[in-house]
Amino acid sequence: MKATGLRAMLGVHWRTHRRGTLVWILALIASMVGTAAAVAGLYTTPEKIHTYAAAVTTGSALVAINGRVEGIDSLGGVIQDESGFLMAFLLPLLGISLVAKVTRREEEDGRLEAVLGGRVARHVPVLAGLIGASAAIFITALAFTLGLIACGVPASRAALYAASLGTLAFAFAGLAALLAQITQHSRGVYAWSLLVLAVAYLLRGVGDVTKTWVTWLSPLGWAEKAAPFGPMRWWTLLVPLAVGGLLSALAVLIAGRRDLGSSLVRGRPGSARASTWLRSPIGLATYIHSAALVGWLAGALIIAGMMGALAKQFVGAVTGNPAMADALGMSTAHPEDGFVAVTQLYIAIIATGYAVQAVGSLRGEETAGRLEPRLSGTLSRMGWLGAHGLVIVTGLVIIVAVSSVVLAASTAWSMGTALHLDRVVGAGAAYLPAELLVGGLALALFGLWPRAFPAGWAAFALVAFIAFLGPGLKLAGWVLDLAPTTHVGNPPLGTIKALPLVVLSTLAALLGAIAAIGFRRRGVPRG
Amino acid sequence: MSTAQPVIRAERLTKTFGPVRALDGLDLEVAPGEVHGFLGPNGAGKSTTIRVVLGLIRASGGHVELFGGDPWRQAATLHERLAYVAGDVALWPGLTGGQCLDVLGATQGGLDETRRAALIDRFELDPTKRVRDYSKGNRQKVALIAALAADVDLLVLDEPTSGLDPLMEQAFQEVVRERREKGCTVLLSSHILGEVEALADRVSIIRRGRTVTTGTLAELRRHTRTHVHAVTVGVPEGLADTPGIAEYASEQVDGHVDSRFTIDGDHLDAVMGQLHAARIHTLTATPPSLDALFLRTYDEELTPHDANGLGLPEEARR
Repeated sequence: MKATGLRAMLGVHWRTHRRGTLVWILALIASMVGTAAAVAGLYTTPEKIHTYAAAVTTGSALVAINGRVEGIDSLGGVIQDESGFLMAFLLPLLGISLVAKVTRREEEDGRLEAVLGGRVARHVPVLAGLIGASAAIFITALAFTLGLIACGVPASRAALYAASLGTLAFAFAGLAALLAQITQHSRGVYAWSLLVLAVAYLLRGVGDVTKTWVTWLSPLGWAEKAAPFGPMRWWTLLVPLAVGGLLSALAVLIAGRRDLGSSLVRGRPGSARASTWLRSPIGLATYIHSAALVGWLAGALIIAGMMGALAKQFVGAVTGNPAMADALGMSTAHPEDGFVAVTQLYIAIIATGYAVQAVGSLRGEETAGRLEPRLSGTLSRMGWLGAHGLVIVTGLVIIVAVSSVVLAASTAWSMGTALHLDRVVGAGAAYLPAELLVGGLALALFGLWPRAFPAGWAAFALVAFIAFLGPGLKLAGWVLDLAPTTHVGNPPLGTIKALPLVVLSTLAALLGAIAAIGFRRRGVPRG
Repeated sequence: MSTAQPVIRAERLTKTFGPVRALDGLDLEVAPGEVHGFLGPNGAGKSTTIRVVLGLIRASGGHVELFGGDPWRQAATLHERLAYVAGDVALWPGLTGGQCLDVLGATQGGLDETRRAALIDRFELDPTKRVRDYSKGNRQKVALIAALAADVDLLVLDEPTSGLDPLMEQAFQEVVRERREKGCTVLLSSHILGEVEALADRVSIIRRGRTVTTGTLAELRRHTRTHVHAVTVGVPEGLADTPGIAEYASEQVDGHVDSRFTIDGDHLDAVMGQLHAARIHTLTATPPSLDALFLRTYDEELTPHDANGLGLPEEARR
């Protein structure tokens, strides 16, 4: 196959997606190097590193979450362990989004047709997309290597670690390229590849906890088995490279042979009538938010179920290690409280993510042009906003309640103790005001300055970063205070403080009111 | 509804988006029961005007009334009596066409079920297909059916036939006529002249956020020139000096006198008398098409600022 128009296609991708790509990889590099630098600043002596290593390797809970890090008794090992959870999702996401954006999305929107009408061979757009994605991944890995070296990690180990993450992203880029050929919409590309990622994460967790070959079934396992801070197995990089290369080659081959706009998986016809429920404002709002709700709920349930199932190992590790229990402040009458508190914080972040995305889909309705016809009927603006607000808040409560119940049940099952439903659900509920505050901020942006809505995601990223890594990295108090989740009081380990919750709720309500006033007064649509 | 009260009345509307002046003193009046053509080039302010009229955006200045009420304050109440098809039709990709129809119908306060079924047939729409699998034309049909099947007093259609094939366009025109016969008022924004010519009772032409001219098609035509080609037996006396005549050319062909000229509406009758006196052999008189009207209105040199400058004789002679 002759790659006619490859250079032109690379130019098109670069011109149309450079901004998004640059923001993506800069944010990724910043968080990776930032975490490494914070760890390096914190674990300055071999003793400190040793204490950390001893703490996280007792029991299986943290192994399941962050992976089994070989050579954890080193600075690099601590960095790998600390970033394990985030990197397991961010790097595959990098590969997926870089490819999905320039392949099926372009085809779906009809831009691919315009391109293929020119002097560009059919398989070239996906080839160019893969080349561009590989280049972006390479730059990210290179920058990460340099960052690690600057933090004091030996060069060859830094390079292997970065390469293991880069090849992980590449494998998922290849997967996305193939999925882009066989599903009809970019939504399908994301949905299927995220499903593969979730399975990969579970397999890696199971394999690491059981110390079996199961780890090798997971792309995340391949990266881990490179063991950059242990025996350094460079050859394992060949596995993701081969798999990614094979998937890419298959994608390019199919792209060259199939019809434009075609796919293996096609949409089926549906009902010719809308139900009374769907016709109601709340019914349509429920439909609009259901996909996001299901996705975030599934994430929360995976975390809750997995953590709960590992509760016994976790608590066992803590009770058998007074030093660690002390460090975590867990020498209380309820040893499982500490780990319920950690899990509830994770669930709170997931619920907050749902809230921001749900508010974002209001903006999506507006920019897509669907809000205008909706408001030119008998539905008032406040009626529309109220229906959506109700559905979003209900979804938030569902995520918190259902995953709390699952967490309580799986914990009780794992520990063999009585169900502490009230403590666990109460802890989850205590985070609601904090979640609503971030959602309210996003809603206020939508009401007042809809174009600035991405700032809502920035706020979410900040809150998530502080919540996940803030305590571990011992960030300054005022930084921790920026996240509303900090003020909840870490229940059920700590006691819930009433006053901060009242303040958070009031602020959330205030932001909601501001959003309503702003939305009532502004023009629709606003570009 | 009293016949005295216009359905839509906008006076000296202005709307600025930052430094951009989208509307610059626009006037628009739509009377009950009429199909009002709203013509203008891309970016003239048609969609902005419609959004102000619907209360989706607020005018920066001027006055606007919809059914005698303030659309910004009473949007939802006033919308009970109208249905709207936006310029860029956007639907929910995961719903089927039929589901979108019902959702849009519910938005407008209900659809006439018989008409819904009839229109689906007429526009040959498959309502079980998902919107994301529809072509642009099919998405347009969904929005059109939803509006045309609604029991309302006013239809606001913003470039409704973009994406429709000629057959469907024909069907659309028939349905709009039927709706008008039932007493429905229609505001039809378009830059397709044929469509407006076929449907509209009155027309407003706007440019750069201002109304350039407004009136019935007949009135507008009066201000423009008719092309006449006459073959007479004798020489028409004094024709060249008749007021209102221009581009006059005459020659002898096969013993007849072949004359070509253009004439404004006010003097057409007098000229016909003169031709008749010279004994008409063949005669073609071509009224100005809306195209000519439209092009002329947009031509800056011919119409500097005022609406009445359309095709005046002295301008034509230049």
